[in-house]
Parts: sequence; C-alpha cells; structure tokens
Amino acid sequence: MLKLENITVIYNQGQENENMALKDVSLEANKSDFVVIVGSNGAGKTTLLNVILGKLKPTGGQYYLKDKPIKKPSISKMAHLIGRVYQNPDSGVFSNLTIRENLKIASKKGNRGLTFSQIDPKALELLRHLKMGLENRLDTIVGELSGGQKQALAMVMAVITNPEVLLLDEHTASLDPKSARRVMELTKMINEELDVTVMMITHNMDFAESYGNRKVEIKEGVLKEIPERQTTAVYAM
Amino acid sequence: MIAIIEQGIIIGITGIGVFLTFRILDMPDLTVEGSFGLGGAVTVGLIVLGLNPIMALLIAMILGGLAGLITGLIFRKLNVHVLLAGILVMTMLYSVNIRVMQGPNLPIPITRTENKLTNYEDISGEDPLADLFGDLEQEETQKVAVEESQAPTTQKSAIMNIFDNLRDGSDLFTILSIAGVIILILFVFLKTDLGTVLRGFGSNPEGVEAFGMSRDFISIFGLSLANVLVALSGGMFAMYSGFADVTMGQGMITTGLAMVMVGEIIFGRFKPLFGLIAPIIGGVVYQSILALVMRYGYKIGFRASDMKLLTALFIISVIGFSMIQNPKKKKQLKGKVKSLCSSSKI
Repeated sequence: MLKLENITVIYNQGQENENMALKDVSLEANKSDFVVIVGSNGAGKTTLLNVILGKLKPTGGQYYLKDKPIKKPSISKMAHLIGRVYQNPDSGVFSNLTIRENLKIASKKGNRGLTFSQIDPKALELLRHLKMGLENRLDTIVGELSGGQKQALAMVMAVITNPEVLLLDEHTASLDPKSARRVMELTKMINEELDVTVMMITHNMDFAESYGNRKVEIKEGVLKEIPERQTTAVYAM
Repeated sequence: MIAIIEQGIIIGITGIGVFLTFRILDMPDLTVEGSFGLGGAVTVGLIVLGLNPIMALLIAMILGGLAGLITGLIFRKLNVHVLLAGILVMTMLYSVNIRVMQGPNLPIPITRTENKLTNYEDISGEDPLADLFGDLEQEETQKVAVEESQAPTTQKSAIMNIFDNLRDGSDLFTILSIAGVIILILFVFLKTDLGTVLRGFGSNPEGVEAFGMSRDFISIFGLSLANVLVALSGGMFAMYSGFADVTMGQGMITTGLAMVMVGEIIFGRFKPLFGLIAPIIGGVVYQSILALVMRYGYKIGFRASDMKLLTALFIISVIGFSMIQNPKKKKQLKGKVKSLCSSSKI
C-alpha cells in the first residue's frame, strides 16, 4: 500500500544551518494497518507526514503508493489517495460554511464545476455513528461547533471518498478527554470497518497503547519499529 | 437624488468585486484600482471606434478578468505577495489605460443631435458639483435638458451609450436590472460546487488542496471573477459619466471596502445573498453621504480634491463603527484594513 525506502530529508542543504530531519527512513504500511508514530518534538514526525502527503520532496530515497513510485509529488493529486486530519480542528473544515456544504465539498475529489452535487450518503451514516447529533444540524455554520465536533466532522470529511491512507497528525491533542476518546473510537471504526490504512502521530500514551496494530518511533530523524508492549517504555526514554 | 442611487449601484458592483476578494477569498486585491479604469477606458475606447456599447462592455469585462488573471499568476506562480502582485498590475494598467484612450481621458462622442448643447455645463450654465444632490431648485434646468434631448434629430445616430443621463431617473431601471442580473447569477454560482469551494477557500486555503483541488486555480479564478465585475462597473461608470479618465480607478479599493463595510453594518455578515446585496446598498449610502458632505461642505471651503480625504475619514469612521458593533472582530479587521490602507491611494 505505502512504502518508504531509505527516505532522507535535509533542510538547508549545503548551508551553515543544514539539518537532517529524516535519515534513511524505511517504512511499509499494508492495507488496513493502523500505524502509531511516536517521538519527541522535532524528531521528524511531521516531516515524515509531509513527505507522504507530497508537500515535501525528499532529498533521497524512494516513495511508493499502491506500488507506484511517486517521483513528482503534488499535494492536490496525492489528496485523491490520502486523507489527512491535523491538530487544529479548523484546518480540516471550512469554518464559514455549513456542515452540509462542508460534506458536499468532501463528497468529491478534484476540481469542481458549475454543478450541484449532493452529500455522499456515507457521510450521514458516519455522522450518525458519532452520536453527536451533527446529522440533525446540517445547516449549522461549522464555526459554531465545538473543537471536538469540528474534528469529528474533519475525520468524516477525510474518509468519505475512501482514501487509501488516512494521516492523523496529533488530531486529538487539542480536544478535551471525552471528545478525544470519541474521535479515537471513530478512528478505530474507520480503520476496521472501512479498511482504511491509518498512520497516526500522537503524544498521548494511552492512545498509543490502546490503538493501532503497529508502533514506530522516530528519534533524531531515525525510524524504528517498537515491538508490542514496549511503547510506554520507549516513549518514556 | 436618483442620480446618487444610480451612481451608488454602479459603484456597488465594484463593491461586489471587492467583497469577493476581500471577504470570500480573503485576498486584498489592489488590481481593482487599475481594472476599474481599464473597464472605463476600454468601453469608451471601443465605443469611439464604433462598437456597440454592450459589446464594448463585454470586451471590457473580459479584459478586466485578464487583469485579475495576471495578478493571480504573479501571486501564485511567482510567489509574489498578493498585495504586491495587485500593485504591479495596477501600475501596468495605468500605462495601458492611457494607451487605450490615446491620452489621459476620453469622452464618448455625442451624435444624438447636430449643433446642440451636449454637456451639463452648456445646458445648465452651472458647475456640476452644485447638482450632486439634484435638488428641486434645478427643475428648470432639467426641463431644458429634457427638451433638448427630445428635440427632433437632424442626424440619424448610432447608439453610443446604454445610458441616457440627461433625464434624472431614466437610467435607474437599466442600472437596477444589470445589478439584479449580476447578483442573481453570482448567487446561483456561489451555490454550485465551484462556488461553494470558492466560499470555503477564504477560511481554509490548504483545505481546498486536501480535497484534491488546485489552490492556484481557485485563487486565479476568484481574482479574475472579481475583476470582471470591477471592469463592468468601470465601463458602466464611464458610460454614465460620458467619459473615461485614467484616474477614475484611484481609491476604488478603499471605496469598495467602505461600501462592503457599510452594507455589513446594515445587513450584518450573513449568507451569500446578503453579502452580494450589501455592497450595492453600501454604494448608495456611501454616495449619498459623500454627496451630502460635498454639497454642504462646499459652502465651508471643501473642494473636489478633498474627496480622497473625505473618503479616508469616512472609512476610518466605518471601521470604528464596525469595531464597536463587533469587538471580537477587532483584531482581525484591524490587521486586514491596516495592510490594505497602507498600500492604497488614500
């Protein structure tokens, strides 16, 4: 599904402030994998996600998605295959539009025309599954929702077009514990029931322990797999 | 008074363009200063060449869109800040407009009658500033003007203007119809898939990419669309005034912003339909206030050249009023207006 081979990213190459953010990183994620990525701040986690998203062209190494090499990454083209949700709830939604309009935008990938599309029925099913009552508030402006509601909506928007991979960058970090748990349950459901490969960066050790079938750690740009039941110990180091 | 409403609606169309860039796309676009003049220059220039005024307006709109497209390309493809991109295009358009008009201004030739008095001063014998508010004292002047316009023609003329600005109120229906059609088309467009994305773009430009759309396309399309409207407004304004002038676009971004703000004070910031109507209402209110100030300010020594000062003072007071109305928006508004006003010609 997703394969990274010896990915290296060097910022400001050849300059005094040269910084190697990723060093020979290799990672393979198969269909339906739930990969949890842990690591301290500045370790290279977000750089890794930016490479996968096509935002950043690696200095060296090979990147394959669905067995095809990605040589000239383009954010909008990669978006057809990859969904993403970030820490800031406002980054995954359009705050000035209604829930209905947000779902309408997310129900399709690629450029739009002068058409009047409908919401993907799957979006309403997922909203009902959340049990937040959002399916009854379709004409509410998203800016009026709470952080947890926005993030849950962002998750639904990211998955309704069946992406191959869902990237989550500390997507529960700014939520209260109850909302965070609810969003994590939704993440699990998306992974298990919709068969979407999930790659999740988190600083929350409870979540790192409880979710995901694989754990990896990035430390000073180097990635290594963490054997089961060692997550807490490794992260505490 | 009807002339004020007519002018306000025409200028209000520019306000809709400013609403699209400033409020919907969240991009302060200074191309407006040049594309308003471009609309006027191209419209009058083509009319002088003998083209039908409606065709002239359509071509002016296309060229206005092209100006927005160039700003968008400079902004997105050369990674130049949108403010600077707008300034560059606006500066280029100053020269282009002079080229188009073969001079700093160009009147629409009047071929309605032969050997007739054709401009306001000739007919009324008074300064046009004295009639900004079209008061009742000048009924006689208007009567003369109407008689002149209705006099039997000795020369079959070509249609040189869609407006007949000699008779007060005669153009209101035409202007209202054009504005109404534009608002209706834009309202429907903003409900389409592309229009919905355009509306969402301002609040989350990166989000647009996350759903597989091109950020470049949305930015460039939005800037082009806004400048199509501004050029239309400029073309209409030139036809209404009877001439185009290279300086006619100066200060239009601040004027447009003021109209948007006035409209928002009246309507609030609600749904797209209100956003589209608000600049028109704002334009009428703005023109009325300016006319009042000029009408009575003239008596205490104000001159036409003080208009820019009055506009700036007007905008400052509108901003102050907006902040009093909505303190939460204070910081956001302050930042946007500061960046705009520092680059505009007030």
